[in-house]
Amino acid sequence: MAQFDALFKPLAINQLTIRNRVVSTAHAEVYATEGGMTTERYVKYYEEKAKGGVGLCICGGSSVVSIDSPQGWWKSVNLSTDRIIPHFQNLADAVHKHGGKIMIQITHMGRRSRWDGGNWSTLVSPSGIREPVHRATCKTIEIEEMQRIIADFAKAAGRAKAGGLDGVELSAVHQHLIDQFWSPRVNRRTDEWGGSFENRMRFGLEVLKAVRAEVGRDFAVGMRITGDEFHADGLNHDDMKEIAAYYNKTGLVDFFGVVGSGCDTHNTLANVIPNMSYPPEPFLHLAAGIKEVVDVPVIHAQNIKDPNQAQRILEAGYVDFVGMTRAHIADPHLIAKIKLNQVDQIKQCVGANYCIDRQYQGLDVLCIQNAATSRESTMPHIIEKTTGVIRKVVIIGGGPAGMEAARVSAERGHKVTLIEKNAELGGQITIAAKAPQRDQIAGITRWFALELARLGVDIQLNTAADEASIRALNADVVILATGARPFIDQNPHWGADEGLVVSSWDILNGDVAPGKNVLVYDTICEFSGLSVADFLAHNGSQVEVVTDDIKPGAAVGGTTFPTYYRSLYEREVIMTSDLLLEKVYREDDKLVAVLENEYTAQQEERVVDQIVVENGTRPDELLYFQLKQDSRNKGQIDIETLYDAKPQPLLDEPSDGYLLYRIGDCVAQRNTHAAIYDALRLCKDF
Amino acid sequence: MVADFLPNLISILILVSVVLAIVGAVRRVKLWRQGQPSTIHWAGLLAIPRRYLVDLHHVVSSDKYISNTHVATAGGFVLTIISVVLIYLLGISGSILNYALLTSSALMFVGAVFVLLRRRNPPANLSRGPWSRLPFSLLIFSSSFFVLTLPATGKLPADTGGWMLAIMLLVGIAWGVGEMFLGMTWGGPMKHAFAGALHLGLHRRQERFGGGRSTGLKSLNLQKDKLGVEKADDFKWNQLLSFDACVECGRCEKACPAFAAGQPLNPKKLIQDMVVGMAGGSDANFAGSPYPGVDVGTQPASTYKGGEIIPIIDVLVPAKTVWSCTTCRACVQECPMMIEHVDAIVDMRRFETLEKGQTPGKGAEVLENLKTTDNPNGYAPESRMNWAADQNLAVFGEHVQQADVLLWIGDAAFDMRNQRTLRAMVSLLRAANIDFAVLGDKECDSGDSARRLGDEATFQRLAKTNITTMQQYQFKHIVTADPHAFHCLKNEYQDFGGHYDVYHHTGFFADLVKTEKIKLDNKKELSLTYHDPCYLGRYNGEYDAPRYLLEAMGIQIKEMERSKTKARCCGGGGGAPVTDIPGTQRIPDMRMDDAKSTSAEIIAVGCPQCSLMLEGVVEPRPDVKDIAELMLDALSVQDSPLEISLVETHP
Repeated sequence: MAQFDALFKPLAINQLTIRNRVVSTAHAEVYATEGGMTTERYVKYYEEKAKGGVGLCICGGSSVVSIDSPQGWWKSVNLSTDRIIPHFQNLADAVHKHGGKIMIQITHMGRRSRWDGGNWSTLVSPSGIREPVHRATCKTIEIEEMQRIIADFAKAAGRAKAGGLDGVELSAVHQHLIDQFWSPRVNRRTDEWGGSFENRMRFGLEVLKAVRAEVGRDFAVGMRITGDEFHADGLNHDDMKEIAAYYNKTGLVDFFGVVGSGCDTHNTLANVIPNMSYPPEPFLHLAAGIKEVVDVPVIHAQNIKDPNQAQRILEAGYVDFVGMTRAHIADPHLIAKIKLNQVDQIKQCVGANYCIDRQYQGLDVLCIQNAATSRESTMPHIIEKTTGVIRKVVIIGGGPAGMEAARVSAERGHKVTLIEKNAELGGQITIAAKAPQRDQIAGITRWFALELARLGVDIQLNTAADEASIRALNADVVILATGARPFIDQNPHWGADEGLVVSSWDILNGDVAPGKNVLVYDTICEFSGLSVADFLAHNGSQVEVVTDDIKPGAAVGGTTFPTYYRSLYEREVIMTSDLLLEKVYREDDKLVAVLENEYTAQQEERVVDQIVVENGTRPDELLYFQLKQDSRNKGQIDIETLYDAKPQPLLDEPSDGYLLYRIGDCVAQRNTHAAIYDALRLCKDF
Repeated sequence: MVADFLPNLISILILVSVVLAIVGAVRRVKLWRQGQPSTIHWAGLLAIPRRYLVDLHHVVSSDKYISNTHVATAGGFVLTIISVVLIYLLGISGSILNYALLTSSALMFVGAVFVLLRRRNPPANLSRGPWSRLPFSLLIFSSSFFVLTLPATGKLPADTGGWMLAIMLLVGIAWGVGEMFLGMTWGGPMKHAFAGALHLGLHRRQERFGGGRSTGLKSLNLQKDKLGVEKADDFKWNQLLSFDACVECGRCEKACPAFAAGQPLNPKKLIQDMVVGMAGGSDANFAGSPYPGVDVGTQPASTYKGGEIIPIIDVLVPAKTVWSCTTCRACVQECPMMIEHVDAIVDMRRFETLEKGQTPGKGAEVLENLKTTDNPNGYAPESRMNWAADQNLAVFGEHVQQADVLLWIGDAAFDMRNQRTLRAMVSLLRAANIDFAVLGDKECDSGDSARRLGDEATFQRLAKTNITTMQQYQFKHIVTADPHAFHCLKNEYQDFGGHYDVYHHTGFFADLVKTEKIKLDNKKELSLTYHDPCYLGRYNGEYDAPRYLLEAMGIQIKEMERSKTKARCCGGGGGAPVTDIPGTQRIPDMRMDDAKSTSAEIIAVGCPQCSLMLEGVVEPRPDVKDIAELMLDALSVQDSPLEISLVETHP
């Protein structure tokens, strides 16, 4: 048995031979389209995966078949018009050229959308019951509308086929229209479309029959279903087995994709794209349960990120195909690297869910650690060696910006020195990984550390660079990625200078022991505040998180705040919004926090043992201003060329002296992706 | 008085020596005749002089010193003998003859001086013992006749030196004649001249002479009662003869990768042990380098004195000795006497495997896999084409019945590293618009490793199965990237009715580049060395096509010191990686050191086995690339698979 043989065993779906068992499953790409038509960006995003060796891509999560299923919110693909066909041809060619196969997910989302835009459609649903996640109200669907939508499904499938795609996946998951009919939770109809099992199955069956009639027997048609909605009044695993068996028996379905969990509440939604707090493949058992009752291949994604894990799942026969979707967003060359025996060079998804959390905000899907993904037109996944001069590049700071700058510069073939004052690489990632359930984010650093070692970067840890030592290195290029420090002295009344408040870094780094009764004051409302609260609660503190924003964790994405909330509520952390921290003072051995209501100006006090302020960071600018004046470019990054993905000016002008750039949080507080993106686009042309 | 007496005595002495030598020769021939019947190529006897002067000399001349020395010594000796026989046995006299004897003995003397010089501080590959005595015997023999002849030519008065000299000459001639005549047939170092000459004439592989090639193993009749060689008398008679031809020069020892790696194999010692097995005695008298890690005279055989015919393995030769061989053929290539070490080793392996079932290490498992799955690593037979699921290959019997080229995949099909080579080949064939198809899951292992692990039965089954499969389709050529399959298909399937026009991919691609069906970009920036696969180079004489292709990409090959015929094996042949006999170092490590010493960044290969062995060497080391992969990188205007174009960086 070879190490990954189960992964590389081809398997047919209907007439289609898939070269291996790895699938990029359907997800909304968001940036993908213009008016629902796939763009060059979309094609390149999938071509990169095909080039990297993935077996099957199912593109276009929630691509709509009807004009009353709004597509603009997530910019999904619009299959309601023949205009899509030539776009599909480009897409199909790009993937087929590299031996991959590509299908598209098609759906009518029913009530799971928003009506307040686009065509201002009235959303439809079997019984007109509101959907909470999108706050979507809807009408009760009429039979004429059903018939129109059934016909739309067929026409859309025909367009996919005409465009040269290899198949379609009907979405009957995530509470789209088909599974809205299935679920007694939202289908209260008493006509032939509701009530009994047969009746609830009818809409899906009619769609299937219509699609099959349109595309014929040999075109691959699959169905994505949930394995269990996880709602007491919804469909449980046994119900789903019954449903899967029912459709399987029709002989009209060529494969089933299985997703654990429903997702029409915030809490269940978090299950669908399990973040780093989940164990590996948490819902595999549900997919395996479906496989027991069907005769066709079963695809399952959800936290399958590692080739060994994939091999184990496939070898054991739980499912036939593994979805490694986020894994491919992090590294579209995953399969090629397995084949090249470069498994340790795979950039593994850490489950930060930056991709999906952007998607739910209607932003383009990007990877927290791979700035080239979805930017294939301008950003390289493989950094070519320079054919020009070999430069001496000195980078100060081993956080994400510094590590990426070092990696890219070294791949270009330059002589790279990376100086980090701490004992390990990672910068703020290292701090973030200290929180409960957040340890996996350190995977970003682990990959960089391996790559930098492979590339022979001179890494100097425990070394604090100063102006003189940097000048002494006689570098051609100096990159400052020195990061930032906690901004807990913004308001002098907080008493940071007197030590009345501490920062979340102090707590997470273990520099300050958790107090017994702690107030966390969080103005940022991202991961850091909830992380430190969770850390304190796990260490036995009684915690109240106070924010002046609309709710603690307001800026944490939709698939991640629920897992924080589960942990915080379980540990009786109190979450309070709308209060500003005005002042802190000491009273005996206690601290008093004076809080003021944003809207009433009414003040209240908390007597606690410890106050942790999470107020973001201030950039570490000292070295920059010491080095700026003598630098050839006065420290300036030319943003026109930067945004245009072109080489910086002055690079090719021979001259003594050094070019100086600063990137990451030492410029201004942003995030990991911003730091890595800036490093990549700046250094790729060195 | 002296002048009359001495020639008579010498005549008698020579006559007695000749008679005794003939008696010895008859005894020696009887020893060889213990062996099994084998075709007697009588005509070969007539070709002995030419074979000596051309074929043998071609090998010897790679060492100019010893080739010149040997020409002088042996040439002088032969002429001296002829003159002596004419003068002293046939009584013919005359000054021309005397001068001829004087000149020839002088020539021989000069040669012998150089033999002696060489022996003053002999390299480890030369045997000591009687071989260290030989130069003195040569000097005594030649100088005695020289001095003896001086008076006859009038250079010295007839009675010069008186009795004293006469006795000295007599003793000298007795010594010399004894060494040269008796030694020839009674087992002294000069045995090589007698047996060697006959061996050249009666060689089992007559095709090797006159620039020909014969490298395929001889097939074994599986109906026989005993399979393979257990005892010396199980060898063919002309194999036994060949063992007696050994001059213990140790060129084989110098070339043997297993010996260099400290594995318990020394081809020279092996041949001498075969002589002991045939003629009796003990290996304790062996005066060369022992099998590494095995002291001479410690095998149980040393207690079996007196010429008994004994089982060879584990009595005379440790089993691990025959299993250390990679069948790289370096010893055969180097042997000036054209002895076939690999044949002997495989003959003994056949007995070990087929009769005793004692294939060591993972060898037995590999053979079992071949029996049950038709591939050495036991992969599911239906997974053979998994690598090509996205290649849309035409499969014989499924899509086509005929094609110009049958692309032979080999066991690279199961290996992710070598699948890259296969994919590159497919892309290149397509780029050149070649009409090709594959056998798909119907292809079986070529049988190479089975045969070289001694399992002739499995080899023959696989060969016959493959031949039967191929009979069903029409194709003009077979192309394969695997030199082992190439060798089997080309040279070893013939015995079973498989006659094909087989190309190694480098040969096929070289033709395509020459005819401009493939155009390659310039890759002159590559710092590269080339490793000759044994089964492509020494077995099939293909040294040029790979180099042509690399040069066609503008690459200046940084040749290793050991290249072409002298290329060091990667350690991967003959089942050696699975029998895995320990040494003091690994052969691929040594080969990689050869490559590193050229400072090349890439080591180009043309064999999946070499790829695996060399890539198994720990980094830092040069990257290992098949020539097909390099070509694909240099192919103008094409979309190469990412997994090939991805650059592997090893700073």
